[in-house]
Amino acid sequence: MAGLEVRGLKVVFETDDGIVEAVRGIDFDVQPGERLGFVGESGSGKTTTALALMGMIDAPGRVAGGTALLGGVDLLRLSPAEHAARRLVDVAYIPQGAMNSLNPVMRVGAQIADGMIDHGTGLGRAARKARVGELLRQVGLEPSVAERFPHELSGGMKQRVAIAISIALRPQLLIADEPTSALDVITQRRVMQTLREVQDAIGAGLILIGHDMGLMAQFADRIMVLRHGRLVEEGQVRQIFREPKDAYTKELIDSVPALEQRRASVIAAFGDANAAPIIELDRAAKTYRRGLFDRTGVPALQPLSFSMAGGTPLVVSIVGQSGSGKSTLGSLLLGFLAPSEGRVLFEGRDLQTLSGAERRESHRRVQAVFQDPYAAYNPFYKVDHNLAEPLRNFGLARDRASVLLKMREACELVGLDPDQTIHRFAHQLSGGQRQRLMVGRAMMLGPRLLVADEPVSMVDASLRSSILGNLRRMKDEQGISIIYITHDLATAYEVSDYVLVLYRGRVVEAGDAETVIKDPLHPYTRLLVGSIPWPDPDRHWGGDEQAEAELAERDRQGGREPCLVRSTIPGFSLAA
Amino acid sequence: MARALPATPLEWGSSRRRWRSVLLYLGRNRSLGAGLLLLLALFTLVAAGHAFYDIALAEPLSASPGKPPSARYWLGTDKQGRDLFAVLIVGTWLTAKVGLLAGFFGVVIGTVLGFLAGFFRGWTDAVISLLTDVFLAVPPLLILIVIAANIKGSMSTDSMVWIIAALAWREPARRIRSQVLVMREAGYVNTARLNGTGAFGIIFKEMMPNLLPYLMVSFVLATATAVLASVGLEALGLGPQNEPTLGMTVYWAIHYSAFLLGMWWWVLTPVITLVVLFVGLYLVTAGLDELANPRLRTGGAR
Repeated sequence: MAGLEVRGLKVVFETDDGIVEAVRGIDFDVQPGERLGFVGESGSGKTTTALALMGMIDAPGRVAGGTALLGGVDLLRLSPAEHAARRLVDVAYIPQGAMNSLNPVMRVGAQIADGMIDHGTGLGRAARKARVGELLRQVGLEPSVAERFPHELSGGMKQRVAIAISIALRPQLLIADEPTSALDVITQRRVMQTLREVQDAIGAGLILIGHDMGLMAQFADRIMVLRHGRLVEEGQVRQIFREPKDAYTKELIDSVPALEQRRASVIAAFGDANAAPIIELDRAAKTYRRGLFDRTGVPALQPLSFSMAGGTPLVVSIVGQSGSGKSTLGSLLLGFLAPSEGRVLFEGRDLQTLSGAERRESHRRVQAVFQDPYAAYNPFYKVDHNLAEPLRNFGLARDRASVLLKMREACELVGLDPDQTIHRFAHQLSGGQRQRLMVGRAMMLGPRLLVADEPVSMVDASLRSSILGNLRRMKDEQGISIIYITHDLATAYEVSDYVLVLYRGRVVEAGDAETVIKDPLHPYTRLLVGSIPWPDPDRHWGGDEQAEAELAERDRQGGREPCLVRSTIPGFSLAA
Repeated sequence: MARALPATPLEWGSSRRRWRSVLLYLGRNRSLGAGLLLLLALFTLVAAGHAFYDIALAEPLSASPGKPPSARYWLGTDKQGRDLFAVLIVGTWLTAKVGLLAGFFGVVIGTVLGFLAGFFRGWTDAVISLLTDVFLAVPPLLILIVIAANIKGSMSTDSMVWIIAALAWREPARRIRSQVLVMREAGYVNTARLNGTGAFGIIFKEMMPNLLPYLMVSFVLATATAVLASVGLEALGLGPQNEPTLGMTVYWAIHYSAFLLGMWWWVLTPVITLVVLFVGLYLVTAGLDELANPRLRTGGAR
């Protein structure tokens, strides 16, 4: 097997505003069996590099120079037909969100066999079927999965199928583009372990593209840091993490929360310490029903009671996998959903009994930052719309001049240049800028409670810590209580005073961040903590088999044990 | 990625740049451009005809009957003594009027119903959706024939508008409802709620502008459907007896056996005009669909 040797790769895009250089001449090698990590934020050229190797750069883009030798063949000089013949055979690409690239109307087995048929492996029907079963087993799935359709599989399973497709013809090089970006930490760890195993089995070189330094530290042998289409730094993983030479690399590493570096949280009364609770959940539960005749329904959140004191601002994290009920809880707190049992009280009043006008008015004091900074802006308007509307509706600014002044302040609060932000359309700003502006908008309105639902999961790693820093400042300086909803225990650890771990709609463990995350007790929490890819190559990123077994045992018994309350803090009371 | 996104057509600059970008867009969106050009040509002819041609010749007995095309009667005359060029001018306008008005009322009613159902959900949605589904399941021509047959004597193009509009709301209602269902879950609608915007504001300020392309598609589609329905009714003889619409011209041509008499000009005039009208409407719909749904944008569109 031969390695890949890339020299002087250049890719340009011809746009209406002239030529944009996406990749400006980079060199690298990938040895067989090696795992090379490509790190950089969006726009750094990492995906474009991979697409160039696959011959998948579409107009208006083109490869403008360089060579990429794999087994004596220059990948950049191949015709589309030659590329098609080599895909899967020599180079396989696992695209971002590969699980959504499966054909919804084809059985999984047929999709895996497809490549074998196209590339004429000469296997008969029975032999193909056996090979598909073998591949599925190799990626940790039952051979019977071959008979299922993609919608019958979970996200993790679909990602495994995508990996099975990519290794079916034993390519010399695998390119995985953020293969786990849509998966929760536990599934992410399992899928990455599978990827590592199959790569070892076929002995291919592997390029992992991503922006998560934690994942890179745990997975890659060697790391290349890209920025603006140029190579910033290259080195063995330990060298990069121990002695980063470039300031940008350092910045990337520091942006990932690490267990050692956590700012002690300050819990202090703000204003009237004896103020009435801001938000109370009184045995609130939510069950989704389908249609008018569904009497049982799907329980999303089991009855939960807690209250947050008005006088003590806190950051309380709600942590759980997708489907744990955490976003349902967020919608209940905002009054977007009505609880199917119990009550949600804001400042002592049931949100569901408020009139339309009262509820609208209540949003001045309960604000939110949502996960998706792309969807939060109406594409019809400039970003001003999201800032000016609440100012007008809540009567916070009287005339145009004061609206403009407040908008500029909001930008400055989160470190955005007002002149580069206001009067622009959302698509002219980056995802990070949009999300920062949403945080600035919330700060500008000065609510009493902020519900932050995965505010950094779709933002480049380098901006995460600055956004989380803004959230902390809101608590410390403005006295705003924050409910931080996330699947990522590492960021929860960084920002929160108190953590609730939600598992299947039930709080299973609660306590201050230090106790819960440094010393988790419940098997689910242990599994979550064990799955965090910490940015330290020497820290074991292993599965906790014992925790998994215990969790499975508890699930069998129905999982009705009481919540483990590890500690309590002033200002927050949980009635489990 | 580094790929620059094409400017959205909703992003206005100065008026000169706006026109320039509209023209550039039409150059890229071929079917929209061709469709608009076709319709524009047809209506220019109609407008010019109204201004410069004696449209009184579209009345029966105003010209010598049964003449083939000549220098005097460009498209010939029918057996009842109508000048077919005058019929083309008057008829196209009448037929288009029925289509446009019925399509307009259909889309307005459909949009209101679609928004009520999609936005407020619950019982409102259940009732409206049931009603829409029931009406969609019944063949429209059947209902139209029953209504039209009952008022046959006093039928005019104005009553045609109302009869056809009575069924033209079904497709828009369903289309808009599904769009609203998707849109109400959009992040910016939730953000608007946090902005203190009420239901009224969310519908008109947040959703409506983004639905404009869909409304345009629905309107053009509903117009085409309404033209088809009116021509269908008229060809069966259920249209306005005293007005020379395109459909009625087809009916008279059949009625007086124009084929047997070899009067090809009598048949071809309304048929070719209808074909031009339908192809134009179809191309505009296809083009607007591409505008409303960027995923349909084909390669090489840049």
